[in-house]
Amino acid sequence: MEVFWQLMINGLMLGGLFAIVSIGLTIIFGTVHVVNFAHGEFLMIAMYIVYLATTSLGVHPYLVAPPLIVAFYVVGLLVQRFVIQPLLEARDPNVQIFATVGLSIMLMNLALLLFGANIRATPGEGTRALIHMGGFRVLSGQLVIFGLTILVVYLLQLFLAKTHLGRGIRATSQNRAAAQLMGVDVLRIYRITFGIGLACVGLAGALIAPMYPVAPTTGTYFVLIAFVVVVLGGMGSLKGAFVGALIIGIIETLSSYYIAPSLKEVASFLLFLLVLIFRPTGLFGSGQAME
Amino acid sequence: MSKIRSIAAAALGIACMAAAGSASADVKLGALFPLSGELALLGEESSRGVELAVQEKNEKGGLKNEQIRLLRGDAVDNNQAIGEARRLISVEGVKAIFGTYSSARSVAASQVSELAGIPYFELVAVSDDITNRGFKYVFRSNPSSSDFGGAAVHSIVDLIAPTLNVDPKSLNVAIIHEDSVFGSSVSGAQVAAAKELGLNIVENLPYAASTVDMSSIIMRLQQAKADVVLQTSYEKDTILFLKQSDEIGFKPKAVVGAGGGYILQPVADAVGHDTMEGAMVVAEAHFDINPAAAPGLEDFMTAYKAKYGTGPRSSHSLTSYVGTKAILDAMEQAASFDADAIRAAVYALDIPNGQTAVGWGVKFNVKGQNERAQMLVLQWQNGKLVTVYPEAAAMGKFALPN
Repeated sequence: MEVFWQLMINGLMLGGLFAIVSIGLTIIFGTVHVVNFAHGEFLMIAMYIVYLATTSLGVHPYLVAPPLIVAFYVVGLLVQRFVIQPLLEARDPNVQIFATVGLSIMLMNLALLLFGANIRATPGEGTRALIHMGGFRVLSGQLVIFGLTILVVYLLQLFLAKTHLGRGIRATSQNRAAAQLMGVDVLRIYRITFGIGLACVGLAGALIAPMYPVAPTTGTYFVLIAFVVVVLGGMGSLKGAFVGALIIGIIETLSSYYIAPSLKEVASFLLFLLVLIFRPTGLFGSGQAME
Repeated sequence: MSKIRSIAAAALGIACMAAAGSASADVKLGALFPLSGELALLGEESSRGVELAVQEKNEKGGLKNEQIRLLRGDAVDNNQAIGEARRLISVEGVKAIFGTYSSARSVAASQVSELAGIPYFELVAVSDDITNRGFKYVFRSNPSSSDFGGAAVHSIVDLIAPTLNVDPKSLNVAIIHEDSVFGSSVSGAQVAAAKELGLNIVENLPYAASTVDMSSIIMRLQQAKADVVLQTSYEKDTILFLKQSDEIGFKPKAVVGAGGGYILQPVADAVGHDTMEGAMVVAEAHFDINPAAAPGLEDFMTAYKAKYGTGPRSSHSLTSYVGTKAILDAMEQAASFDADAIRAAVYALDIPNGQTAVGWGVKFNVKGQNERAQMLVLQWQNGKLVTVYPEAAAMGKFALPN
């Protein structure tokens, strides 16, 4: 029984990690309605920046988070303005998907060119310290990720519900044409949303870098899970992404212990299919985001 | 008219003799490696070993007093491997082909040479299939993938159990491996070897190399009370497994990696030298081995540096150099460059262990596999890879951390 509860804790922590990676994706998806295939690569670039900052400047990985969040917000604005926005009126929405796929390949090869194929590990600096809680153990870094994920989800919910800008974002995600008619500058909302989405990726990169080694292909490991989490939770739903991530984390952990490590994807994708069959909008999806 | 014809015939005859004369002045050998495409780097590295061995032979007067002309073929994919093997054999008329680095291309190209009755010498590729097809003229000088898997298991019997002073059968052995061809084939050989030796396998777990969390696997090994873990892995899963084991507090008595991630310095740096301490890895060649057990290694390094300007980028060139050198020595002893004469001479080769630059000897078995090609066991000690087995090649003493 003790093993079971330790596995549950491991699963929750893994879920927290999946959640922090998925938040940015679900925000962009819910509002801009663009599947950002370069999501994982942005995460990988963020992890490289943290690696470089910690190894060459000797700063703590978490201290890289604030500048990284700001920088990635700006990158998000620029990507939306110069890559996605010109394609918004394209007759075929697939064109935007192709653009993000192209961006993803470009970033991956840029990393290969700049950093080489060798795998790099950001120094832990205390984030890999073992914390014992009543006979169970977690890593300090995992707890930080879990706590911050809850905080970020809460703050973003608050921002969307209470502020003028947040209401604009929600209006745009619910009905673009109506929002435009009500005087919302939709293009500006899109830019800001993309910026917020990438800022979340910047935060995720700073938190994950000390926990996982980074290589140019690292993004692809995380992005598939992030897509599953986003669809499972309901596209565009922050709460959904959080709960979906925890469910996937727990299922993967339990199934790889009790069934087989190679079958953990079978278990999580089976659940994914069942949810899609019985609740096509996802666990917390309103259906509004899916025009 | 008949006069002109006879003059023409005579001229043709002279031309033919001249051609035959120039052909007998040097002997042509083919070198078939992927020199472009995604395998180019290590393919080219492997071909450098052949070039160095041929150059050395030519400087010493050549093969049976004939200079060797090495003709390169680019095996960029399986189809081109076949095409280039055909070209080398029928257009260039090579007496033997050396290759190939890639197992799949070796299997494809050697089918052509076997049909044409031309000897094919594999120097680098590991797939068991290459020598398991009952071909008459296909030989392999390097260890195969079953040697690779077997070596990890033998290290339990030869090194780990004696050091722990226990019966190897009393140790709980766990096998974990990434689930592509690399991991599956090596772990399959490990399981077979362990069963043969009567070892106790408690877990055999495949996992996807893309996994971001290995804590469940580690907890299963913990529950199974694994004493020895054999892992076949790439870089990231090696790092994850060793780091997470350390954090979870899973301390097996020994960890043995099969090449892959375990052999790379950046992986040891990422894991941390304290955590990496004592981890073992099996490899087919290593530059840092006892020079007394590898005569010619220093000469190889000097010749390599002189020709290419840098040190070797991997040990593939060393293995292909040693293989080529042994085969050329055999061809020197052959009655002629006829395929059957070469085959007889290659079977007559009998180089004991410790007499080549890579450490192992050369003696081909019925299948054409060099049965003396053996793996080295290396161990991470103080952040460096140290050769610990076989004893003759060892640069340091094998020890298990407590």
